[in-house]
Amino acid sequence: MIKITLAGVNHKTAPVEIREKIAYPKDTFIPAIDALSKEESVLECVILSTCNRVEILTITSNIYPEPEFFTGFFSRTHPSLASIPIRPHLYYKTDIDAVEHLFNVTSSLDSMIVGEPQITGQVKEAFESCRRENTIGPYLNQIFQRAVSTAKRVRSETAISHLPVSISYAACQLARKIFQNMSNKSVLLLGGGEMAQLTARHMKKMGVHSLTVMTRDPQKGMLLAGEYEAAFAPMERLSDVMAESDMVVCSTGADTYLLTVPIMEKAMEQRGFKPLFLIDIAVPRNIDPEISRLSNTFLYNIDDLKTVVESNQKEREMETFAAREIVQHEIALFQKWRSERSAVPLIQALRRHTEKMYKSELDRFSGTLDGLPEESRKQVKILTQSLINKMLHPTYQTLRNSSNIEEAWEWISRCYGLPPEILSQEALSPSEDSEKKEPADAALDSPHSNFPIPGEQSC
Amino acid sequence: MKISPLELLLLEMASGFYLGAFVLYMSEILLSRPTRVPWAPVTAGIGGVLFQSLAIFIRFGFQGHVALLSLREVLSFFSWTLVLAFLYLEHQRKVRILGLFIFGIASLSTLMVIGISFHSPIFSSRAPIGLLLSLHTILIDLGLASAALAFIVSLLYLILDFFLRNKIFNRFFSRIPSLETLDQLNNNFSGLGFVFLTTGLIFAMIWSWEKFGRTLPHASQGGLAFIGAFLVWVAYAATVLLRWSKRFRGKQAAYLSISGFLIFAATITALALFSKGSHFIL
Repeated sequence: MIKITLAGVNHKTAPVEIREKIAYPKDTFIPAIDALSKEESVLECVILSTCNRVEILTITSNIYPEPEFFTGFFSRTHPSLASIPIRPHLYYKTDIDAVEHLFNVTSSLDSMIVGEPQITGQVKEAFESCRRENTIGPYLNQIFQRAVSTAKRVRSETAISHLPVSISYAACQLARKIFQNMSNKSVLLLGGGEMAQLTARHMKKMGVHSLTVMTRDPQKGMLLAGEYEAAFAPMERLSDVMAESDMVVCSTGADTYLLTVPIMEKAMEQRGFKPLFLIDIAVPRNIDPEISRLSNTFLYNIDDLKTVVESNQKEREMETFAAREIVQHEIALFQKWRSERSAVPLIQALRRHTEKMYKSELDRFSGTLDGLPEESRKQVKILTQSLINKMLHPTYQTLRNSSNIEEAWEWISRCYGLPPEILSQEALSPSEDSEKKEPADAALDSPHSNFPIPGEQSC
Repeated sequence: MKISPLELLLLEMASGFYLGAFVLYMSEILLSRPTRVPWAPVTAGIGGVLFQSLAIFIRFGFQGHVALLSLREVLSFFSWTLVLAFLYLEHQRKVRILGLFIFGIASLSTLMVIGISFHSPIFSSRAPIGLLLSLHTILIDLGLASAALAFIVSLLYLILDFFLRNKIFNRFFSRIPSLETLDQLNNNFSGLGFVFLTTGLIFAMIWSWEKFGRTLPHASQGGLAFIGAFLVWVAYAATVLLRWSKRFRGKQAAYLSISGFLIFAATITALALFSKGSHFIL
């Protein structure tokens, strides 16, 4: 029987000091996956290595690899880990728990920031790298196809990724609530603080028309302006530039208000009272809070943006309930696929057994049958074959739909008096060999690839 | 001149579809998950507007002119125009939140149309309805629909402005389009309303000149309507002019549009309830 096992460490179980040692950067990834695929009993395997997690997913035959198998593998591939005990940080999941974990990870439900979109891409990348190394077979192919499709469903059917959870991105999203079109908007970057730069980068990505940098130190300002393909303006031109700007991101080290009510009143008059979005990320604040009373001006300071982020995080957490429902639904579909697939070798074995019986009975009655005309002999053979098929059909269905296939097989073995060696390695080997060699050339973005179940047609 | 059973049936169907669209838009706001059938409310709206178009067509055919001479006709045409304008906007600008308000008003209006008892308008017994009067009534009704749309987007503007200032970030907030979009829509609808109202009044004055020999009517000939229409016209003229002069934007413009529509609606209601003159009756 096929066994699915997952083990790994992530941001919840291991500190960054351990995670950075256990990670597989690009240069060590290929040798590691190659070594893992050569391990005894490993039929298929994937390594997922990101900044927040390192996980190994294996498909094995008949036995689950012990947690020590994974800790040993980590230690062998990372000599620096030899003195560090990994087991306390390792989580270990088997079968449907392992699949559910992967679905949660791919759907970003297990991420540090729930709903962040990068993880789905990282999972796809890990899968593709392993596929190129031929460590993917039909089971992992199916699991990853379903994991990515679950992630897509979660993103499209819930609002888990709609709400920004970083301060700079939240500021940009708020700008979209004020302005319809960013391509004709001008942004003034007042000061060169780190957060202001990050916000400016987001604004640039949103396609703002122009960016002006204004700092007290002209040299630093010009350097920044060059970095962001922006214009530089000296502080003396503040009121003129204000009149032309639609957004102001303020993050200077000044300990007084740079933008006061009289300055803003003049600027608003000059700009025809068009809406103005002010973001004050500086501490102490650089914009007089009284400005927010002016019509068509919207002022947000660092605490306000934090409130936005916290509110969005809460909304995202609420959305995880709906997302987990989707994951459960997809898990049920996977289980159905798996039980159908697991039933195939058993059905084949049962079929071989009945074929053998059928042939021996035909031989026993060959004397009688030989006396019949050719046409009648054919009719007898068709009749008996059809009888066998009709009698076995409910058994095949039971095996395919069974939630506990091992128990179902035990009952069927008893009913039909099947010898235990019917499922011997010899009998199963052609099927498993074919599984190991089955190509997994379907890319993750392609529609659900459904590898044919061996012997499905004959059943 | 009574309402035909077919027209009544069509109006009932339209009202049902509008109500359905309203409920669907409401559920979009209340439910946390994005809907799996985003096309459902718009489809319901299209269904409603088709039934109402047939009802209006039958009404015009039945009475032999296109003038809107009763409150029933005014309300029916008003809701029909609103829904058509929304369907166009939804196609062009994707302002789904407007659907909640538009279909709420449309379903209420059509229900009122069904509920109002019908009397024949006083004009029908006196003189044939000319083109000028038909144009006057239709243009004023189109002006009312534009004012209603300006009113709704202004209301949304003030709500979003309030949310942004008070840092309230809820599901309703996330579904309102940007302030700039709302301000632009307010500008467009106010401008359109002003044009419809002005031309509607001009046609009324020409008609009054032809019928009574004077452009400004006496109290008995619609003086109340004229005062109301004049006030609305001034409000919209102020909105348009102040916006041109770049003084009034956003909130101020929204306040003007809201007051403009309220005066408009009050005038229509007052005419419906108290006018004994040459304007429509209940």
